[in-house]
Amino acid sequence: MSDLFIELQGITKRFPGVVANDRVDLTVHRGEIHAIVGENGAGKSTLMRVLYGLYQPDEGTIAVKGHAVTIESPRRALELGIGMVHQHFMLIPVFTVAENVILGSEPVWGFGRLRMREAQQRVAELCRQYGFVLDPTAEVGSLSVGEQQRVEIIKVLYRGAELLILDEPTAVLVPQEVDELFNNLRQLVAQGKTVIFISHKLDEVLAISDQITVLRRGRVVGTVPAAGTTKAQLAEMMVGRPVLVELAHPPVEPGPVRLDVRQVRVPGRGTRPAVRDVSFAVGAGEIYGIAGVEGNGQTELVEALVGLRRITGGQLLIDGRDVTHATARAIRLMGVAHIPEDRHRRGIALPMAVWENMILGHHTREEFTHGALLNRPGIRGFVRRRVGDYDIRVADVEAPVLALSGGNQQKVVVAREFSFAPQVLVAAQPTRGLDIGATEFVMRQLLAARSSGMAVLLVSANLEEILSLSDRVGVMYGGALVAEFARGEVSAAELGLYMTGAGRTGEARAG
Amino acid sequence: MKHRLLVLQMATPVLAILFGMLSASVIILAIGRNPLDVYAVMVRFNLTRTDSLFSILFKTTPLIFAGLAVALSFRVSLFNIGVEGQYYIGAFCAALVGFSLRGLPAVLHLPLALLAAAGGAMVWALVPIVLKLRRGAHEVITTIMMNYIASALLLYLINDVFRDPTQIGTPRVRTPLVAAAARVPSLGPLLAPLGLHGSDVEKLNLLLPVGIVIAVVLAYFLSRTRFGYEVRAVAFNPLAAEAAGIPNARVQFGMFMLSAGIAGLVGLNDILGFFGYLDIDFPKGLGFLGISVALLAKNNPLGVIPAALLFGFLDRGAAGVQFFARVPKEIIVILQALIILAIVVAYELLTRYVRTQRKREAELPVTATPAAEATGR
Ligand SMILES: Nc1ncnc2c1ncn2[C@@H]1O[C@H](COP(=O)(O)OP(=O)(O)OP(=O)(O)O)[C@@H](O)[C@H]1O
Ligand SMILES: [Mg+2]
Repeated sequence: MSDLFIELQGITKRFPGVVANDRVDLTVHRGEIHAIVGENGAGKSTLMRVLYGLYQPDEGTIAVKGHAVTIESPRRALELGIGMVHQHFMLIPVFTVAENVILGSEPVWGFGRLRMREAQQRVAELCRQYGFVLDPTAEVGSLSVGEQQRVEIIKVLYRGAELLILDEPTAVLVPQEVDELFNNLRQLVAQGKTVIFISHKLDEVLAISDQITVLRRGRVVGTVPAAGTTKAQLAEMMVGRPVLVELAHPPVEPGPVRLDVRQVRVPGRGTRPAVRDVSFAVGAGEIYGIAGVEGNGQTELVEALVGLRRITGGQLLIDGRDVTHATARAIRLMGVAHIPEDRHRRGIALPMAVWENMILGHHTREEFTHGALLNRPGIRGFVRRRVGDYDIRVADVEAPVLALSGGNQQKVVVAREFSFAPQVLVAAQPTRGLDIGATEFVMRQLLAARSSGMAVLLVSANLEEILSLSDRVGVMYGGALVAEFARGEVSAAELGLYMTGAGRTGEARAG
Repeated sequence: MKHRLLVLQMATPVLAILFGMLSASVIILAIGRNPLDVYAVMVRFNLTRTDSLFSILFKTTPLIFAGLAVALSFRVSLFNIGVEGQYYIGAFCAALVGFSLRGLPAVLHLPLALLAAAGGAMVWALVPIVLKLRRGAHEVITTIMMNYIASALLLYLINDVFRDPTQIGTPRVRTPLVAAAARVPSLGPLLAPLGLHGSDVEKLNLLLPVGIVIAVVLAYFLSRTRFGYEVRAVAFNPLAAEAAGIPNARVQFGMFMLSAGIAGLVGLNDILGFFGYLDIDFPKGLGFLGISVALLAKNNPLGVIPAALLFGFLDRGAAGVQFFARVPKEIIVILQALIILAIVVAYELLTRYVRTQRKREAELPVTATPAAEATGR
């Protein structure tokens, strides 16, 4: 515990219009798991990028193992034993695990011939040493999200990292995968590695970390040991006031069916369909939750429902109208909003301005256009209101949306999709990357929309979220809906069983 | 850090040009000349003579159209290498309308000829774009192929079908003369009161201001209209655009047609503005130069104007250097190509450097779409 690894002192990093890090002090000891928590835009990712050499601090000093250093690049960071596990996996799907791991630092014989056998052995060895379940010869494209993340971690270990930085690693994982990740992390620290870990899920943070540093608006509020700290205390440190995470779920009499999915089939890669004859219906004033491990057809189902994927069998009706083969635009115009699971893929265009992203999909509305021209004043007013309502931390709405923190990017998408009173909302991982305050806000929005008669399809890996919001819950496994429960009929643990295909199959609705 | 990048980004075209001159210097030194002298001759010849100034403007005109055409396609991640062939077809259609119709008033005949040029090129471009959007055939391959076909087709049409019967028996292989009503008016009469005379002044025609106006209109169109907004979305994230209900294929189709339509006008500066007939030896290669112009302009319609001017400057300068510095013609051609190559390479490298620095700052996942690369905003 006494062995100092990292010492940041007075780190300040400014961006146009914001001080992302304001005189931050951070001390990390060897062999500990150190969590960094804070609201969206508090400066967590920025601080980590400073430490990994992606940004240069404007002020402050960095000491590694007692020596003052300048980390001018990620290469230098790795030399110092600091590695970062990328949040957006940078893996080549057609390469094997071992090939991906060695990419960029390949062991070679003379004339550049690859020492593939050796690489595979090294990777296998690393997996064994830290208890990672991973086949070095497997093709990365066929791996689950959790497994791909393991590849990213091995990649960093392979390059000799002693300190691993993980920025919201659990945002994309289902509970079982989180458990597995935490086991891996515990193995790593047991063998002398050090971990810095960012998460918005305070239960996770308390469960896994030794020390917790709280950031608020770029400043360190304090560092506390995880033992003896409660969730409420942490939340209060983060936000500056007590946070209540109690949600009222008033009974709402479901109205007429809005979203009617009948025996829908969606092709997948190869001959196996990604979605197999799925049927369910969501009424006005109802939230229908879909739980499932990523890769069991939810992505394809959601995209099919909003017109982004071909439906090859069955029928899709919205407000009684057949839209099985309708375009995304037609479906949108019927009042269907869509929060995509991966904001960077389907939700925003990173180089475009915040205001431009804010009206994406609404840009043809009358209030935003003057004939063929965009109505800039009208748009500006709308954007200002949304930024205020959703507490989006943005210095300048003309700046590209990539200048926003991850959570604030998510807020842009959510705020946009909740605009103009949609009739049906297809929300995939709507709170991914949001802090507790914003998560609570979005959950309240969902419930308010439900009360006002919206039909919501909620697809989430977060079982707590699904269970606390949904009127009914369906479980997807292997492309089929294998079970359906009414509210209060099922526990998280039971859902988990169904999600891995281990539950009873007698109740399966779709066959 | 931020400021350094910004300055570097703005200085890129200048640095690229300097690098081009530096590389060319090596060749000039190799033939035993002093590069400084040669450049001095070029600058003096280009900038101190009225005929040079107007010749530069004349050479700039088609390059504005060509640069705009290429830039528009780049803006939606399509590579229209077919501007070359499209302007052959456009030139022919304009000539055909010009010489086969008689007695129309100029207010009708000239616009008709321009429309024919744009329309013909658009029809020609339908093949590659439909193949691309329907079947996924890569437009680079198909447009290059279409260029060959256009070239051969034009030779056939001029030589075997529409050759001016009065020229048979002479070495001149060309179409009949275009009606006066279909000629693009010269700016000469406007310039004469300013004391500007001479054949190079006379050559300058209405297409130069037309090109500039089109560039300005396009810049406005792309930045202010709904369609321009959709173009940006499609270029920067086609998947998100699709999810927002923007029809990617339709936007790409529209921009490709616009690109081809403007490409159709490239040849008119020479055909309707100067010669008055389509000769088998009409100026070729302008479409390919348009690619360099668009690159240098970062696909910005307004940037196309100075970029085209630079290429016009080089072209005219070559003539001066050949005559006054007595550098052999072949060397001039090498020089020109080298400067263009160096500019494009240096420019690409610098842009890429700025971009990776940016990306590093933002830790963006590396996207492989040509859109993000080709589209400067
Ligand atoms: N490249 C950038 N350009 C301009 N501003 C930036 C840039 N990166 C971050 N910022 C700003 O710095 C602040 C801190 O952002 P950072 O990404 O560190 O937050 P975070 O704590 O990781 O938030 P989240 O929980 O949402 O991921 C934000 O206000 C953000 O807008
Ligand atoms: Mg972050």
